[in-house]
Amino acid sequence: MKKNTASKGIFSFIKDCLLWNLSGPISYQIYLCILVCLMMAGIYGYVVQFKLGLSATNMSNIVSWGFYISNFTFLVGVAAAAVMLILPSYIFKDKDLYKVAIIGEGVAVGALVMCMTFVFVDLGRPLQFWHLTPGIGQLNFPSSLLAWDIIVLNGYLALNALVPAYILYCHYKGREPVGKFYKPFIVLSIGWAIAIHMVTAFLYQGLPARPFWNNPLMGPRFLASAFAAGPAIISLVLHVVNSTTNFKIENKIFNKLRIIIVSAAVINLLMLFSEIFKEFYFPTHHSQSATYLFFGLQGHDSLVPWIWTAISINFIGTMILAFNPFRERQIILFPALILLIVGIWIEKGIGLIVPGLIPSPMGEVTSYAPSNIELLITLGILGLGMFVVTMLLKPALIIEKEYDDNHEH
Amino acid sequence: MDSDKKKKMNRRTFLKGAASAAIAGSAAVTVGCEGKGLLGSSEAYALEFQEYFKKYYRVMTPVERQETVTRLEKLAKIKQDITVNIDTTKPGENVLFGYAFNVTRCEGYMECIQACVKENNLDRKSNTQYIQIFEMEPGQMTPDQGDSKFFHMVPQDGHFYMGVQCFHCENPPCVKACPTKATWKEDDGIVVVDYDWCIGCRYCMAACPYMGRRFNWNEPEVPKDEITKNQHYLGNRKRVKGMMEKCTFCIQRTRKGKLTACAEACPTGARVFGNLLDPDSEIRFVLENKKVYRLKEDLGTEPKFWYFID
Amino acid sequence: MKNPKFKESLFYIIPFYVLSFCALSGLAILFSSSAAFSSDMTMTLKVKKVTAKLDKATQVKAIIPLPKDIVKATMDYQGGSFFTEARKSKIQRFQCTSCHNNKAISINNASKISHDDIKIDHGDKEGPLSCNTCHYENDRDFLVTSKGSKIDMDHVYDMCGQCHFRQKKDWIGGAHGKRITYWAGERVVKNCTSCHNPHSPLFKKRWPKTYSVPLK
Repeated sequence: MKKNTASKGIFSFIKDCLLWNLSGPISYQIYLCILVCLMMAGIYGYVVQFKLGLSATNMSNIVSWGFYISNFTFLVGVAAAAVMLILPSYIFKDKDLYKVAIIGEGVAVGALVMCMTFVFVDLGRPLQFWHLTPGIGQLNFPSSLLAWDIIVLNGYLALNALVPAYILYCHYKGREPVGKFYKPFIVLSIGWAIAIHMVTAFLYQGLPARPFWNNPLMGPRFLASAFAAGPAIISLVLHVVNSTTNFKIENKIFNKLRIIIVSAAVINLLMLFSEIFKEFYFPTHHSQSATYLFFGLQGHDSLVPWIWTAISINFIGTMILAFNPFRERQIILFPALILLIVGIWIEKGIGLIVPGLIPSPMGEVTSYAPSNIELLITLGILGLGMFVVTMLLKPALIIEKEYDDNHEH
Repeated sequence: MDSDKKKKMNRRTFLKGAASAAIAGSAAVTVGCEGKGLLGSSEAYALEFQEYFKKYYRVMTPVERQETVTRLEKLAKIKQDITVNIDTTKPGENVLFGYAFNVTRCEGYMECIQACVKENNLDRKSNTQYIQIFEMEPGQMTPDQGDSKFFHMVPQDGHFYMGVQCFHCENPPCVKACPTKATWKEDDGIVVVDYDWCIGCRYCMAACPYMGRRFNWNEPEVPKDEITKNQHYLGNRKRVKGMMEKCTFCIQRTRKGKLTACAEACPTGARVFGNLLDPDSEIRFVLENKKVYRLKEDLGTEPKFWYFID
Repeated sequence: MKNPKFKESLFYIIPFYVLSFCALSGLAILFSSSAAFSSDMTMTLKVKKVTAKLDKATQVKAIIPLPKDIVKATMDYQGGSFFTEARKSKIQRFQCTSCHNNKAISINNASKISHDDIKIDHGDKEGPLSCNTCHYENDRDFLVTSKGSKIDMDHVYDMCGQCHFRQKKDWIGGAHGKRITYWAGERVVKNCTSCHNPHSPLFKKRWPKTYSVPLK
């Protein structure tokens, strides 16, 4: 597809991206159809929820946040983890990770889109979202952490969407992107990534009404688990890219990512131990939430098997990745990555949000499990996220490959 | 050429599939919306359309407030066929409401809950109650160790009773948490919610240490003959699903000088309500002369609801 | 070679400083808006310091109607005079002297018909109160104190308050009993016998008016 550089413009960029996205072998088309079906199922679920109100979910006045916010919490971490690729590539000038930084940003955008969609479906009155806009509405900044969260998430989405878009557009036109246009924003996005996850952690950390959340370790713990699970997901995506496209990724990239993941996962386990010590060394009434999570309370013990499974697979995954014997064929570590991701997803998602709300501030204990509508909508949003990532990565990889081939750097 | 044709075919089939899926999706959404009654009476629709775009209550001019109240009263007439009167009474001068609860006198009769449900037009379908009465064992002090789901002859021997509701804190964590400022503390101390401004994120509910707030998970249902027709914009007017609500110290009554419904209903006189800034009031007498305490004092929320014993 | 490298590094240094500045100033605003450390006096103590007498008319803009059938109390509370519910109109067979007038009674079983529903459950089990402890023998329209002074039935609190002096003090101040309907305007409170049956004053056991359901 060698065209004149002069005839390439923004419209041909968009047109080419769309064409690249829609074309591919039959397996790719089937994959896209599956994603569209998932999204349709999600839309159907949302229509039911919009009609009935949030009583279509299993949330109640006690467990007022459930599956949606759990997934939101986990995915903000995944979005923040793109920084673990950006930081080495741009600040430490690591050439290997520089090659796959754009994939990290694509995954971050997908995760952010999923986050915002989860918040949207969780709102009681989503059509009134314009009430949050400063100017025509009211934004309770800087008092409300949710206001902070909205600002930082949208800012991060802009950074992670516009900077790669600029770089890709320049590569599409066959020229080097101008450093001063994008490098300051890269540096900004590094600090901003830390900010989005600390702010999301502060959402929970700043509530004295919930002693399970009101501890200083939430922010750092979120960062540690994000930098373990996020790069793990990016690793999975890279394995898929490596096997299904002609964009080849070397083993040493996977190894570098593995080192980042293991460091973060070990710190995460250490912090988990610190929290468990605080709750159970001298249990007080404030430890009731942790007791509910790990051992059950007043007969309600639905989360107990989940949390113990989560911690075990988290530990096993970390150990395998740390002492891995398969340095030459990293793809064998695929299951260990999945174990780690699922473990962190359970423990940081439902294992954080629901116990924080049980028992209620007036001592009532109840149970929570997501309803069918919640599961349907979540599947739909998962489909949406994967769809966004695919749409972003497919043209990006084609452009990058072509740029690399033509400009042997 | 062959590969190009193949690509074109794949694209075409994909686009066909996507288009039909989009049509199916939009059909589903339309069916869903129709169930909401959007294609109902055109006057109701026009009023609701105007209501959607209205401003935040605190920045409305008095004229705009009157306009929205008129629209809401008209909507009540059209949709529910009842005549309501919605006030926008401002706080009085030098008023700061306070509440005291006599733990010795409460016998668990729950007449306060019944009166509150009726006065504030609470949803009967989900049994929403702003007040919770706890049955406590001697030796316990805090309601989280009590039982609020009792239903037997009261008072039970060897137990005492205490009630909790929104305590209208002077330093409310819910007000700090709300991202749209939909909840705030009025000058007379009542923490209120502008229902139409609330987006239903439920962050305030996570922030409240006293279970003071309730969310409308479903569309509230109130039997027509039990609706209280004297309403306040920030009080007991009709709420819909997706909004937060809470005890408002019966703002529609107290701003006219009446007691709250719970204080008036209590047959044992366990509830004392009045103006904290009036040194002659009963609530001040209780604070000066009785041994008073508040719940979760260590959180620094400064609730305006005290407990005392005889 | 120095200049381009310095310019390059500026692209990293400047945004870092900008970001840190924004974060720190945001945090400064966030913490300064917190009321927690503004004073070390709780609200209870702050409110108690407000002792200036209030012009009660400014509290509420509405006119507060005075209920009918009230009497002015014989003593003042901390805010001056107050009213209480009159009692006599609520007693079914008042004027007692229509029967108790030292004349012969011509109805059979008169005492059973008129007073059989009264069971005295006041005082302890061994020595409950007798009728004449409270009712004035010589003028049945009135009550009597232990010292022999007549008390009007509307001012029954002066009699109950002989033994129940703690409750009377609380009732005058407002910690016992209840105001009628309004917290503003003239103070009108329930009388002792508005809530308590004088012959069997303890509140009875009953079923609660409603119940709470466990939240899902």
